[in-house]
Amino acid sequence: MPDVHSLVNECVTKLKKRKVEGSKATAKLTAELLRSFISQQRLPHSNQAGSLIDAVKTVGEKLIAANPVELAVGNVVRRVLHIIREEDLSLTTAAVGGLSLAAESDDEDDTEHDDHPVLSASAVAAAARNALRPPSLQTLLEDIPHSVAAPHTSSSGGDSEGKSKSADKNSVTRKLKHNVIEAVNELIQDISTCHEQIAEQAVEHIHHNEVILTLGSSRTVMEFLCAAKEKKRSFRVFVAEGAPRYQGHALAKELAARGLQTTVITDSAVFAMISRVNMVIVGAHAVMANGGVIAPVGLNMVALAAQRHAVPFVVLAGVHKLCPLYPHNPEDLLNELKSPSELLDFGEFSDCLDFGSGTGSPLLHVVNPAFDYVPPNLVSLFITDTGGHNPSYMYRLIADYYSADDLVVRGKSAS
Amino acid sequence: MWYRSASFILDKQQQQQNDTVTNPESRPPSSASTAMAAENPNANISMYYQTRAAHHGVVTNDWLAQAQAAVGGHPDDSVSDNYVSGSEEENIRYSVVDEFNNWRKQPELAEAVAAIRALASVIRSSQATTMMELEIELKKASDALKSWDTTSISLTAGCDLFMRYVTRTSALEYEDFNSAKSRLLERAEKFGEISYKARRIIAMLSQDFIFDGCTILVHGFSRVVLEVLRTAAQNKKLFRVLCTEGRPDRTGLRLSNELAKLDIPVKLLIDSAVAYSMDEVDMVFVGADGVVESGGIINMMGTYQIALVAKSMNKPVYVAAESYKFARLYPLDQKDMVPALRPIDFGVPIPSKVEVETSARDYTPPQYLTLLFTDLGVLTPSVVSDELIQLYL
Repeated sequence: MPDVHSLVNECVTKLKKRKVEGSKATAKLTAELLRSFISQQRLPHSNQAGSLIDAVKTVGEKLIAANPVELAVGNVVRRVLHIIREEDLSLTTAAVGGLSLAAESDDEDDTEHDDHPVLSASAVAAAARNALRPPSLQTLLEDIPHSVAAPHTSSSGGDSEGKSKSADKNSVTRKLKHNVIEAVNELIQDISTCHEQIAEQAVEHIHHNEVILTLGSSRTVMEFLCAAKEKKRSFRVFVAEGAPRYQGHALAKELAARGLQTTVITDSAVFAMISRVNMVIVGAHAVMANGGVIAPVGLNMVALAAQRHAVPFVVLAGVHKLCPLYPHNPEDLLNELKSPSELLDFGEFSDCLDFGSGTGSPLLHVVNPAFDYVPPNLVSLFITDTGGHNPSYMYRLIADYYSADDLVVRGKSAS
Repeated sequence: MWYRSASFILDKQQQQQNDTVTNPESRPPSSASTAMAAENPNANISMYYQTRAAHHGVVTNDWLAQAQAAVGGHPDDSVSDNYVSGSEEENIRYSVVDEFNNWRKQPELAEAVAAIRALASVIRSSQATTMMELEIELKKASDALKSWDTTSISLTAGCDLFMRYVTRTSALEYEDFNSAKSRLLERAEKFGEISYKARRIIAMLSQDFIFDGCTILVHGFSRVVLEVLRTAAQNKKLFRVLCTEGRPDRTGLRLSNELAKLDIPVKLLIDSAVAYSMDEVDMVFVGADGVVESGGIINMMGTYQIALVAKSMNKPVYVAAESYKFARLYPLDQKDMVPALRPIDFGVPIPSKVEVETSARDYTPPQYLTLLFTDLGVLTPSVVSDELIQLYL
């Protein structure tokens, strides 16, 4: 146990000091940490899924608080919680299904408990259908199952049956943990291969002699463009340099090395060049539930330019970037202010930044926000590992990947 | 206020008399022409908006007393006397409408809840012995209800939702007819609770969107919006509300009154001052009479206008609506709906040659709405059709 705690703390400090950055790296870190946390977690015999969820929630809360701007952390925590719920459900339904079958065969001897187990089995089946689905009109009038495990215990009959069930349960214990870890492994695998999955779709979107514009640098975008190049598409790429970090320079160098026709432009030249562009392809920091995008600074401007000239604005995003939250006030809440040293050389401007001048506060201020919010109506298409989607379809993916109970990881454990 | 004017009361009185006189004639005891019999006695005035005005408009006690005196008896007495001579089927029809009208009178009860309770009463009194018979009976009753007041969207939606529930659940999980019946009744009874809970869920969901120091524009009286604002006030949020007057039944006055009771700073606007004050508004909050398949809403007259102004000034428009208001309608334009009319009092006599637009509601297309807060979660307008397709597939 103690080494898990130290592991968690280490991870928290890493996130706090911004030593890990980029949504993919943080997502992977979080998933790996949660995997080792789950594997070392000792589970009680009853209600293990519940206790596991609570434990993961407390850790998740810490991680999210360590870097609230990095939404990928929260996404992975929610994904893991969803995985636990799913595995628990599939196990209990399988167990109850088997149990009711056994009970039915027993019924031939003693007619003591008539159709009780049968009915409970059907009820559980109904519950299983609904439990993980988000609330919908269909289920509005139906009973919301409070706990799936309830009929499991209530239908206990004789001694021998009880014994066999406890043995059953023991295997269920190990099985749950095992299955959850398996699924988390799959999640980690998904996160690390999402580039390739997205890049595979490149040929469907990039055609011969097209001009593509991108801003800054994103690993996903680079792989995407290179994948199209490998499939013998010839096209040109405009790279806006992405001030103040100028990651676009590195991207341009890399693309040129791979044999792509590359042009570097300044960020301010985007509007001037957009009329020649066939498609804008960019990466994202996070995709919100309404289809809005939290993206590197400067992209809102690109999106507006693209809209003005009716150029498709395509966002590439791995599934771990899908965030089930809504941007309440994106300009304030989900932004991060970076160091001013990226903008100005302190040596040159130290006079203006001097706190000792007349009024006691410097006359020159530097603000360096890291992110932009691109509203959903400016985005034409999202390309995720599962294919291309409309912004208005994002809620659907989110409903698939997260369960509604986990949306507020923080709020629930705080109360 | 139109319902305070003497002419309206006179009209109503007359219509009440006509009702008792003409109705027995127009309803032959034979069950052949059943489709025609369930006509609403005053088809040119929307019952739905009359009820709303009575519940949420500014009504004073002396007016109520006056109205009572003018009308005389209880309006239901006349109806219940009538259907003694009718055949069995007609009895069902009139009792269900009767039942619905009774429930509808309670101001805290949503229209859909009233509809489902009325249908539950059909199940209770039904002598059907198979699920199929019961379904047919229910179908007839719900058709009667729907044709009784075609202007109420949530009535139609509530009936459809319940019918859907009956057809979907009955056969599969309950082999025994009686247990299925009691189960349906139980769920119908619980629906009032569901509706109340839906309001709470919506209020909780919307809290994140109300930030300190914001100004909210509201239009019309909506119980859900009131609940949202009340919860925000209880959570110690600091915000200001601009309330439109909501002519002609002045539902905005009633809302501003309720908000003032909660110590929320509130300012009343006349309906035409919306564009004037839109620049100080941070978000628009409206309820909905019905949410249609396109994701747009049908709501009190003026909502479309407000949404247009908000869109042009880039302000978000939030809709708070329970999911049982989702209706299978797809209006193509403003006039593509069953007209819901209501009398409007201009205070001065209107020359007979002047026409008056008396429609009570308008349709706001989905592109002018930002988000819908429903008990199914915070949804974008395009999700609505998805939900409806899932339900009625």
